[in-house]
Amino acid sequence: MAEISGAIDSPAPAVHREQVEGACPRCGAHELRAYPVLSEGGWFQAVKCDRCLMSVRRTPWALLGPVQLTSTGLELE
Amino acid sequence: MTDDVAAVQRLRDLDDEAFGLRYGADRFTVSVLANRLQYVVEHMCSGLLTNAFSLILRDWYDFAATVSGPPGEGYPMSSVSNSLAVFFGTMADGLRNTVEEFGPDELAPGDLLICNDPYRTGTHVNDVLFIRPVFHEGRLAAFVSLRAHQLDMGGVVPAGFSATKRDVYETGLVLAPQLLYRNDKPVRSTFNLIFDNARFGALLLPDIKTIHQNLKLGERLITESIERYGLPAFLGAIRYRCDVSAESMADALGTVPDGVYEGEEHIDCDGADDSVEYRVQVRISKVGRDIEIDLSGTSPQARTSINASVLDTKTAVGMALKLLLDPSTPFTSGTYRPVDIVLPPGTVASAVPPDGAVFLFWEGSGPVLLAIFRALASALGERAVAGDFGSLSIHNANGMLPNGMPWVTTAQCGGEHGPWGATRHGDADNYSVPYLANNLDPATEAIESDVPVVVLRKEYTADTAGAGTHRGGAAVLKDTLWLAPAEHWSSPLHTKRSSGFGVHGGRSGAAGAVWLFGKDACDVGGEGRLLGTEDAVYANAVPVAGVLDPETHVRDLEHGRYFYFASTPHWRTEPGAIFRYLTNGGGGWGDPRERDPEAVRRDVRDGYVTIEGAAHHYGVVVTGDPETDPEGVRIDADATARLRSVEGNVR
Ligand SMILES: [Zn+2]
Repeated sequence: MAEISGAIDSPAPAVHREQVEGACPRCGAHELRAYPVLSEGGWFQAVKCDRCLMSVRRTPWALLGPVQLTSTGLELE
Repeated sequence: MTDDVAAVQRLRDLDDEAFGLRYGADRFTVSVLANRLQYVVEHMCSGLLTNAFSLILRDWYDFAATVSGPPGEGYPMSSVSNSLAVFFGTMADGLRNTVEEFGPDELAPGDLLICNDPYRTGTHVNDVLFIRPVFHEGRLAAFVSLRAHQLDMGGVVPAGFSATKRDVYETGLVLAPQLLYRNDKPVRSTFNLIFDNARFGALLLPDIKTIHQNLKLGERLITESIERYGLPAFLGAIRYRCDVSAESMADALGTVPDGVYEGEEHIDCDGADDSVEYRVQVRISKVGRDIEIDLSGTSPQARTSINASVLDTKTAVGMALKLLLDPSTPFTSGTYRPVDIVLPPGTVASAVPPDGAVFLFWEGSGPVLLAIFRALASALGERAVAGDFGSLSIHNANGMLPNGMPWVTTAQCGGEHGPWGATRHGDADNYSVPYLANNLDPATEAIESDVPVVVLRKEYTADTAGAGTHRGGAAVLKDTLWLAPAEHWSSPLHTKRSSGFGVHGGRSGAAGAVWLFGKDACDVGGEGRLLGTEDAVYANAVPVAGVLDPETHVRDLEHGRYFYFASTPHWRTEPGAIFRYLTNGGGGWGDPRERDPEAVRRDVRDGYVTIEGAAHHYGVVVTGDPETDPEGVRIDADATARLRSVEGNVR
């Protein structure tokens, strides 16, 4: 996570919302976006309607979501 | 939205058959078991509270207990203790992360699993999460857990509470998921790892044994319930409690006008230098019974240990919504069902290792709660809640007695207790822990028996409370006289701006400060008097933190200059030194001109408001002398009416 350490002069971090094709089944808006969320049960990769907040899809993500531990990537065998 | 709300199947509308199918037993049995789950966590906590040796467990109640369901159910956390919110808020996820990493299939009856990594489980390394699996007929049925603050976990500062630690290597020992007991026998390698790295081992060891015993108690109580009512009913009760929380939160969200709301809150600076003021930003989208809270735009993580981790921020979001909207239903993991948090990694509210040091995590997550309070204030109107004292301004000190005995004090002698903000229901409390906590206040006698210190003052300060129809809480002033040489870490992190913002027309509370006085400032023993509170005493004081007049060192938020709390990273004092902490004041609710003049008179009599403050902030003219004749102070009704009738007279 070298890009984060000592990054005090860099812009504030932000979550990118990727545009997704399709219409919201609840309100019909063509404003679907994909981004990770933290909620009941932990982290999910979600596709949500930007207008009515409906989750069109939710897939459980990594246990710690975007957080990489100091020991992440440790290969022992 | 209306259609959706109508389509929601309400728990109370389930008929007996549908209820039984969903929860594995009838409504009555499930309710009894749901209450039993609450009894279990309270019973485990009572056992630890009454047997702990460590001051922070015994006198602060710095621990929490929970019950969670098994992996197959998604680890639902059904019950939390009536204690520290910053702990139990992290425990559903912390437990799942710990068990999943260790491997649920690796667990066996008689195990005690631990983890203390803030990035896996929230809070800080001293707060070890102790997890006990509960088995039924050879299969995992539940978990009981206790998260309890250990007085030390290694690292560069004894007892740990410091804003100046720079990375994960300085904050203390990180324990990845591992067994502390197997088959109820201690795992020596784990004990060695802790006790070869942590100070004050003589206090830690009996408390860890007590924690083990209380988790066994919780396990036994749950096993009894499962054997009596059956596993389906027990798991049904866990699900039911979580569903009740989820429904209750969604109902509460439904009462908030749809819209997008933004709020921000600040942290003075970190422990590296005072060049950066940190900002927590929230953007809240609320539609129907759903809410999304996006922290994009929050400052990059701080260079020292004032950061919060992801799970601390999740806790702050949940607590903010509970306190504002849904305070009467128990908190469970289901509270978050209608809530999505959008949180980029590497902010001051979502720090990542190894450089995003986390220790004073509440200083990073408390602003998340206050930013949500600010963001929703206009939407909530009269339901808005004003800000509290904002920072724990925690004081951490240690030294050695002449007989060679080391001593330590933590969270006893700083600004740890202070005022809340006012609500539509009435004036605010003046003396509590911050909104995100829920603890005891250590007794002065206990502090003075353990530590070479005398608590000289613990009192309210006039004209610091945010004015309003309902008054905010008054700032707390605390003086401590140190009897032995000591080194101190002082961490007031919210003095540049008032944290106690007013709502619904209420005014903000005053900003606090911290000063250090040498032994010449006041000969308490010889002269038999306390250090005064008049402005003149501050000129010779060393400013520790606050926005102060550069010459007089008196608080002056408008024209003063900021004195940096870590200009001296840790303070070394000789006997006779006095620390003075003044917390921030709590915010007021409603227009101060609407406050009942009789309530203002009482405030003058009781020392919350001066006669000048009554006229200035409330437009109420009070006569008499509250110092010499408190019961003799009176309202001048005519003068009050004249003063209140002119717009701009009340500020
Ligand atoms: Zn939609």
